[in-house]
Amino acid sequence: MKQNHVSPLPRTVGFGVLLLLWMLTPWASATAQPSDDPSPHSEAALVSEVETIAPGEPFTVAMHLQMDDGWHSYWKNAGDSGMASSIDWNLPEGFSAGEIQWPHPTVKEEGPLVTYGYSGEIMLLVDITPPDDLESGTEVTLAGRGDWLICEDICLPAHADLETTLSVDADATPDAEWDDAFAQARAQHPRPAEGVSVQAYRSDGSFVLELEGDDLPDEGVRFIPGEKRTISNTAPQPVMRDGDTRYLALQASEYADGSTESLRGVLLGPDGFSWSMSDRPHPALAVDAPLEGEFTGDLSALSEAGTGASSTSLSLWGALGFAFIGGLLLNLMPCVFPVISLKILGFAKKSGEQPRIMRRHGGLFAAGVVVSFWVLAGLLLALRAAGEQIGWGFQLQSPGFIALMALLFVGIGLNLSGLFELGTRLTSVGGTAQQKASGYSESFLTGVLATIVATPCTAPLMGAALGVALTMSAVEAMSIFTALGVGMAAPYVVLSSVPALLNRLPKPGPWMETMKQLLAFPMFATALWLVWVFGQQVSIDGVALLLGAFLLLGLAGWVLGRWPAMQVEGRTWMASRAVVTTVVAGALALALLGAGTGAPASASTQPTDANWQSFSTEQVDAVRDEGTPVFIDFTAAWCLTCQVNKRTTLSTESVQQAFDDKGVHLVRADWTNRNDEITQALSKFNRSGVPLYVLYPGDGSDPVLLPEVLTPQIVMDALNELPDTRNDNPELASERP
Amino acid sequence: MTRSLWTTALALLLIAGGTLAFHAEPVDDPEVDAPAPDFTLTDTNGNEHSLSDFEGEYVVLEWLNFDCPFVGKFYGSGEMPRLQETYREDGVVWLSIVSSAPGTQGHFPPDEMNARNEQEGGQQDAILMDPEGTVGQMYGAQTTPHMYVINPEGTLIYKGGIDSIPSTNVDDIDEATNYVVEALDAAMNGEEVPTKTAPPYGCSVKYAG
Repeated sequence: MKQNHVSPLPRTVGFGVLLLLWMLTPWASATAQPSDDPSPHSEAALVSEVETIAPGEPFTVAMHLQMDDGWHSYWKNAGDSGMASSIDWNLPEGFSAGEIQWPHPTVKEEGPLVTYGYSGEIMLLVDITPPDDLESGTEVTLAGRGDWLICEDICLPAHADLETTLSVDADATPDAEWDDAFAQARAQHPRPAEGVSVQAYRSDGSFVLELEGDDLPDEGVRFIPGEKRTISNTAPQPVMRDGDTRYLALQASEYADGSTESLRGVLLGPDGFSWSMSDRPHPALAVDAPLEGEFTGDLSALSEAGTGASSTSLSLWGALGFAFIGGLLLNLMPCVFPVISLKILGFAKKSGEQPRIMRRHGGLFAAGVVVSFWVLAGLLLALRAAGEQIGWGFQLQSPGFIALMALLFVGIGLNLSGLFELGTRLTSVGGTAQQKASGYSESFLTGVLATIVATPCTAPLMGAALGVALTMSAVEAMSIFTALGVGMAAPYVVLSSVPALLNRLPKPGPWMETMKQLLAFPMFATALWLVWVFGQQVSIDGVALLLGAFLLLGLAGWVLGRWPAMQVEGRTWMASRAVVTTVVAGALALALLGAGTGAPASASTQPTDANWQSFSTEQVDAVRDEGTPVFIDFTAAWCLTCQVNKRTTLSTESVQQAFDDKGVHLVRADWTNRNDEITQALSKFNRSGVPLYVLYPGDGSDPVLLPEVLTPQIVMDALNELPDTRNDNPELASERP
Repeated sequence: MTRSLWTTALALLLIAGGTLAFHAEPVDDPEVDAPAPDFTLTDTNGNEHSLSDFEGEYVVLEWLNFDCPFVGKFYGSGEMPRLQETYREDGVVWLSIVSSAPGTQGHFPPDEMNARNEQEGGQQDAILMDPEGTVGQMYGAQTTPHMYVINPEGTLIYKGGIDSIPSTNVDDIDEATNYVVEALDAAMNGEEVPTKTAPPYGCSVKYAG
């Protein structure tokens, strides 16, 4: 009995397995390659435009391909994957077949790839030329084998034996059944341009297609290459407009072999667009444009977009946004803050004035800031254009500039501390036009001053935005700098144009004089710092000369204070002002003389800490090749953020210990003075200023960029991410999780 | 005072955000005559392999999808196993990489992949699983097959199609110039690789998403 009970169970299981297999089989054979159907998901047939053919008279046949929904086949250039359809003819003696006349393809995106092909129903036309000696009344059979790839998500090869039999007559007669289909197929063939001139140029390893004509679309133009090795199928094709001309930037294919002599392919407009033609509009232009030398126009904006950025507008808008925020942040920088505080004091003092006047002051301050940014940017771009290797903060690499800045700060400090007053402010007490005018120019000049003193403080966002700016066209770069300036001035414009806000500022009073005198000290501190930077760039003699210049400036200030413009007249005024002018001139001369004394013996390119090697591209590459992790500190004496990071993070014992544990090779790239090698290294990271912290893992993978504001934790975390390069050390190896 | 603290905090937040935003940099596909980027992947037997493990040896990377007819052309005909065997005897490391995402064509669990490989006669050193497509995208692999040849110094010396005739037709194999063979033979004889790149052809790599 027991045995009888045992047998049904396996049988049920066996049936279940069979059922399962049966259910799976059709599904499986549909996704794998079905060997029985030579043309899965598609059918092909050979059709002829004519019923009868005449001797020697060419006629047209077509491979008619019908594809299932969701499946597609490929154009003559399949794109990144796939394969062109083909016909291998087997024609009677004396017959010859032309090339396939391809309808224009559509663009298909397959994941990260782009292919060109067709779905639905297509006709691949071929011209056949029969021999002259055909006899009327006979029949001829045209045969061939069609091969195509039919793809959905997966691809299946397909083929069909093509055959059609036609009779020979004195005259060819069309086949009414296929007339329309052939006409429609021809309407899909790309046609040579009419009314549009197409020129092709090389452009820095890539290409530019120039289209000129009426009613060209502003965007959505797409060039589809007829050959594989010309342009990248996936790269965006940004369009630049210039009147009736459109420039299409085409990125060269990574498989281009440099032998491209012309751009051949098809030009499509945006969806539903047709190119104007004399008879009727046409969806696709045939392009065959020989490459005519290097493109000479300004395409910097286009090529930027064409080299991988997914959208020009996004990156430009993004950069503009960051520039604006960066500008806002500049107000918080230690070197800007005193100047800004002055401005706020000024606002407090004037808060009783009419809103209209306040707005004008705010606007002029903003103008001062923006104009200064333009001047700096213009200078930067002009020097770039002249081939100079410079970056943001370049002016601080000049000792002369540093010296003049230091003098300026000392001067402002002396003025604030009350040693002297600048004339115009006290000359008239009444609300005369003159006073207003001088007040206005002061607002403007405060803007200028704020900008000049802000430049050393490359705020982190500003560094990135400027890095982008310098790779862009001049117009775009200027927009970035404008955004920076607007960002910096924004708080004051807002403050000055909203009376409610102004009213919340403290009331003017004697406290303002105290505050003003107090603000002299940040000014002197800034001057001190500049002297320190100056000392990195020149010798101790230079520093002494600069301090001498300060002394003379103090003297000039005293003279101005002792004989103020209000109280002296005639010869005294003349004499005192002559002395001031001479002494100031002497101060300037001393400062510049000091700047010319040249670098100190221990040039700042020599790092002071023993653990740090000075920067050389060659050496860094060599160390990286050895598989050693490398940390590069791009810094400069005049970069405050850099100095802070150095003190609070890089020089701390814990961080030094962590570097040591990981065997990291430390490199300091000191950009205090001009150094083309470092400028180039910075530009590799799309930066134009310091600080920049780069950590190369030892395994040859991409470098890690650390934030511009460092904490020991950030550095330690980055170091912990390093692949363990000391596998030979069992102690370390066992510590790994 | 409180207000300025808030302002400072906000500023720091913006700095951090902005800094992060700028750190996402596009990675370019590797170029020939430049170092081939390192990667680590697990093979069908559960062993990890890194490209850097094979320093000092020639390495061939072959993007693989057994159900792709272009791949079928080379395995069905026995050509791919023959090449793998021949060059492995010469000390070349041959790695087949499968970047098909789970659920797409060409992806199999490791055991099934091994069984399939045995059936196809594969003679490679290892089949590496790249289901997230990370390495495929790092190398810019577009098609199956898509071939990369790396010299003992770790420099990419060839990338592109396996040969010069894009088709699924087995008969074309003998007619075509095999660029991998050409590159390996030239480099091993100390000669310049005649064709450093050629357009890849085949099925699209079935990346995730």
